[in-house]
Amino acid sequence: MSSKYRLYGCLAIALALALTGWTSWRAVNTPLTPYALRFPASFGGRFTIPADNPTTEEGVYLGRLLFYDPLLSHTGTISCATCHRQERAFTDGRPKSIGVNGQPTSRNAMSLTNLLWVRQLFWDGRAGSLEEQAIMPIHHAGEMGMKPGEAARRIQHVPLYTQQFKQVFGTDSLTDTLIGKAIAQFERTLISASSRYDRYLAGKAALTEAESRGMALFMQAPDPARGIRGGNCAHCHGGPKLYQELFHNNGLDRHITDTGREAVTGMSLDRGRFRVPTLRNIALTGPYMHDGRFTTLDQVIDHYSDHVQAGPNLSRELTARQAGGLRLTAADKADLKAFLLTFTDSTFIRNPAFTRPATLSVR
Amino acid sequence: MKPFLLCTLCLLCLATRLNAQTLTISGEVARPVTLSAEDIKALPHQEVTGKDRDGKELHFSGVPVIELLKKAGVTTGGELRGENLAKYAVVKAIDGYEVVFALPEFDPAFASQVIILANRVDGAPLPAGTGPFRIVVPNEKRPARWVREVRSIDIRFAK
Repeated sequence: MSSKYRLYGCLAIALALALTGWTSWRAVNTPLTPYALRFPASFGGRFTIPADNPTTEEGVYLGRLLFYDPLLSHTGTISCATCHRQERAFTDGRPKSIGVNGQPTSRNAMSLTNLLWVRQLFWDGRAGSLEEQAIMPIHHAGEMGMKPGEAARRIQHVPLYTQQFKQVFGTDSLTDTLIGKAIAQFERTLISASSRYDRYLAGKAALTEAESRGMALFMQAPDPARGIRGGNCAHCHGGPKLYQELFHNNGLDRHITDTGREAVTGMSLDRGRFRVPTLRNIALTGPYMHDGRFTTLDQVIDHYSDHVQAGPNLSRELTARQAGGLRLTAADKADLKAFLLTFTDSTFIRNPAFTRPATLSVR
Repeated sequence: MKPFLLCTLCLLCLATRLNAQTLTISGEVARPVTLSAEDIKALPHQEVTGKDRDGKELHFSGVPVIELLKKAGVTTGGELRGENLAKYAVVKAIDGYEVVFALPEFDPAFASQVIILANRVDGAPLPAGTGPFRIVVPNEKRPARWVREVRSIDIRFAK
């Protein structure tokens, strides 16, 4: 080798070293960009973002990569997005999801919408933060089936991730906790606030006559003595976010088969109680209920109108003033359904910020 | 056989304790307390009358909330001044429903009505879905703060 080539070789090596050094220096030292969470003032500021996991553009992107990556399941076939599909407002259209073992999970996949405000996650409220929640399906034997630490080991040497984790969390050692933190950041951004109902509330859209009648039934508490029919749906599903953070038994069964919140609190008064889910995008998120027993909104409305079962801890809102059911007419039910359809947010299900990142294909 | 029986009994007792509904008072208190229905029954009771959502007048019996707060060492009476007036109580129900009261609302040094934690209505224990404990604010026009199935009272500082 001539000395000329030796010189070029040395230069090349020096350049490569400098580049590597610069890249990792940049990964650690470039300040992260805070993510601007945008939502209507009516949604309110009642949420907490943990001080050790601020929402940043880079963290949200990392969380989005992980959300769509099947590497996080034992079989390498199931990602979060398998059961939480954007076009269905992050549900999967099944009564119960199918986990890595090919068996149905124990409950219906919940819609991932406006989780920024949710304080107790899952149907039974067992997770107190998104950070805690995000890792649970990954570790669940019947869902993604990973052993503790397995997810972190799986992606530890994927170049895409090592660099991203270094940048977002400033560390080379990946942990399941950090995976949970990144996914939690992405989940916080899944804000839906552009349904026709939102535009109606903002004074920018009108409702049809049927929808308006449906809205009146949605808000109205029934009063049979005065001949007033109503669904009183808003008592639990009211407010601009279309849910109240409550756990109720909504009268599906006389004999409880799933203890629900009791398993979390240990209190018998919690037996058969489940989260009141949001009605946002409700037309897209069937089948309905914690066990996905109803396939259509008509069945759901029929249930509340005519088939509420007096099991233990039945919600007071479903017993009071309605012995014999709500007795909504067929026309009432059609109006109510028309109103429920105004909760669909087509912007949310097409938002490019929530889709599968193209980078994943070249990982 | 005997140890087995004993174990079963212990487990049964434990299960009963877990299932028995209690009231917890915590937060900005001198000593957090958890009171059972029996503990509360043993405290001096007061009767109040108020109208429920259906407009029907009901006679409630229960413990003034201020007495419960004193048990936990919450700043009341002469101590309820200065920065302590920036404290509030979050009353939480089993189902997650939460409402807020400012401390002076409970304190006879400020308020002309007595807010109670009721455990009986019209001479009978509160019915399922309402009891064992319910907040009753006798003179309030809407009973939205008459929290049913009360689980806890958390005292906090406005920050």
